[in-house]
Amino acid sequence: MDRRKALKFTGSMATAAVVGPSLLSLLQSCKNETRIDWTPQFLTLDEAVFVAKVVDMILPRTETPGALDVKVDMFIDKVYAQLYNEEGQNHVRNEIAKFNTDCQSDFGADFVNLSESDQIKALQKAEETSGQFGSGVWGTTVGNPEPVGFYRSLKSTALWGYFTSEEIGENVLNYDPVPGAYRGCLSLDEVGNKWSL
Amino acid sequence: MPNYNIDADPKHTYDAIVIGSGISGGWAAKELCEKGLKTLVLERGPVVEHLVDYKTANLDPWDMELRGALTPEEQKKHYKAIRSGFIGKDTELFFANDEENPYTEEKPFLWIRGHQMGGRSLLWGKQTYRWSEMDFEANAKDGHGVDWPIRYKDLEPWYTYVEKFAGISGEALGLPQLPDSHFLPPMELNCVEKDIKKRIERDFPGRHMIIGRVAHLTEPLNGRGQCQYRNRCSRGCPYGAYFSSNAVTLPAANATGNLTFRPYSIVQSIMYDESTGKASGVRIIDAETNEDIEYKAKIIFCNASTLSTTQILLNSTSNRFPEGMGNDSGELGHNLMDHTYRVGAIGKVEGFDDKYYSGRRPNGIYIPRYWNIDENSKSDKFLRGFGYQGGAYRMGNSEAANRQEFGGDYKDSIMKPGPWEFFITGFAECLPYHDNKVYLNKEVTDKWGQPTLTIDCEYKENELAQNKQIQEDAVEMLEKAGVKNVLGFDNKHEPGYGVHEMGTARMGRDPKTSVLNGTNQVHGAKNVFVTDGACMTSNSCVNPSLTYMAITARAANHAVEELKKMNI
Repeated sequence: MDRRKALKFTGSMATAAVVGPSLLSLLQSCKNETRIDWTPQFLTLDEAVFVAKVVDMILPRTETPGALDVKVDMFIDKVYAQLYNEEGQNHVRNEIAKFNTDCQSDFGADFVNLSESDQIKALQKAEETSGQFGSGVWGTTVGNPEPVGFYRSLKSTALWGYFTSEEIGENVLNYDPVPGAYRGCLSLDEVGNKWSL
Repeated sequence: MPNYNIDADPKHTYDAIVIGSGISGGWAAKELCEKGLKTLVLERGPVVEHLVDYKTANLDPWDMELRGALTPEEQKKHYKAIRSGFIGKDTELFFANDEENPYTEEKPFLWIRGHQMGGRSLLWGKQTYRWSEMDFEANAKDGHGVDWPIRYKDLEPWYTYVEKFAGISGEALGLPQLPDSHFLPPMELNCVEKDIKKRIERDFPGRHMIIGRVAHLTEPLNGRGQCQYRNRCSRGCPYGAYFSSNAVTLPAANATGNLTFRPYSIVQSIMYDESTGKASGVRIIDAETNEDIEYKAKIIFCNASTLSTTQILLNSTSNRFPEGMGNDSGELGHNLMDHTYRVGAIGKVEGFDDKYYSGRRPNGIYIPRYWNIDENSKSDKFLRGFGYQGGAYRMGNSEAANRQEFGGDYKDSIMKPGPWEFFITGFAECLPYHDNKVYLNKEVTDKWGQPTLTIDCEYKENELAQNKQIQEDAVEMLEKAGVKNVLGFDNKHEPGYGVHEMGTARMGRDPKTSVLNGTNQVHGAKNVFVTDGACMTSNSCVNPSLTYMAITARAANHAVEELKKMNI
């Protein structure tokens, strides 16, 4: 398993080096100068930096690529631009502003300008206060769960973008487009990471 | 497979016309062609040739713009069907355009349609169960609706016949309420399902939990490949492993040389000839050119799908049938039924964290009906009964998003599968009510200026009482089986969500109270056959498609016999 992991890691980093200038620019800048090198379709530059910082904290680079390595921030912008209607877009904009207002009152600055420890505290608070998704069956939610807050929704979109990126879907998770058979009871060790499809 | 002959000749009188090419239309085409009839199939939408036209079949999420989500424009195009929750970029090409094909909901009703070669046989759930003797006797016994003019024994040989060609996988149980089919090997239950099955069957005598019986090949059949466990069925199967008209019946019909398949043919009405007392042909509008064309035939099979079939009959007026073809009884359009949907229970399963599965099984578990099957199982709260579908799996993104964690350790942990979850969701039989109905709406027209349908249908006391029981039983079974954090649910979905709409041109023994006779012939126009969901006199609690196949094969056989005897 380790060997397999190592191979996957090598592959992902090679890809990141080629396609990930946004990551490099983030790494090279200090936190107050975080900037992006792509043009958002919906988000303002400040909002895009906010989204990039949040998703990087949720899914940082470890021995596997992080959210920014696979351009989750760009994907989220695209989702807001192309999938959300005007009402949804306004909501996103208001919620980012509100998140920053809360950070100002709690810690004295906008989220991206906080110290790392305050950023962690801000996300911890968001985790506790943004609700949870209910269970779903065949595409429909069941029960009557409360709608989730903005942070949970952002996190979910980040996971969607991350796990459906080609790099993670093909090289990090277990990718098997044509399984050929169903085996209903395997040891998890035989599989390792979860199936990507 | 070869290309289809799409050149239909209006000057020619065909032996048979089949309206629609979904599950029942495909079977009608196959049977009629194989019995030597020159058959014209009229399809409202485009050709979807097996293999060739499954354009999304091999796309991964990252191959699709927006990873498979629908844009607002695409959502608008499917603004009604999207309620179902199972339409995405990969499958939207097989869902009808709701804007071009409007319908009116007098009461909420979800009408899912597939306007292309193969119809909804490309999209269906593939759950295939025989109906039982108690289903065909139900109306006669409790007095709801009218008596079926057939019994299980009339269909039994036809079930066998269609099963051997369609290919049904499953496990024989010998239950009277769920007769066994001729089975290919069953799919496997996973570890958690096996454990829950044991507990439910131990703690609830008379209840069974089995792997779903499905129209998926678990071994090759007639040149079709077996299931490869991709679970991308609704995009069209590159192996022809599940039953669809496209992969199975239409190629068989085409192989006879007797088939003409005309796409983009919107059937406006069936023409009635007063001098012969029979239908003479079909009037269509070419969906691309808007041209009106008439085609003639000796017999007509109307298989446009339940409500579309009835829409065509209602629109087929004449001096003889001023209120729609076959509507002497006034029952045409009435007695609409569906199965109740999305009522059940769900929860987490502990103790199997080191277990996983491989392959994406396009199937789940099934719990056959156990209420009202004998004296001991009689309910004093409701008539008839329900079954459950469900399954166990390891959870994905929404569970990962719910965890109150972030950062490197969190990210590494969600590379592993989430906790196990198990659910069951019931499907209850709906009684046939005269006032659950559809009727023509001339105020709202479709893209081609044709009148549309208004649907006026609701679940009533007996269905709601069953839903209550479904939820109570589901919670009880899951809790007893050791499932944790059990949540009972009732989404209170309107009819249509089950996508098992049935009735509106029912079979019966008496022309005064039914639209069709016991061999699916329209009362008063004996050369017109209706063998899709419209013909159903009651709706059981099990999935209907296998019964449509059997009824169609039986009726086609009868039609050819009658034609030979010059009776029609």
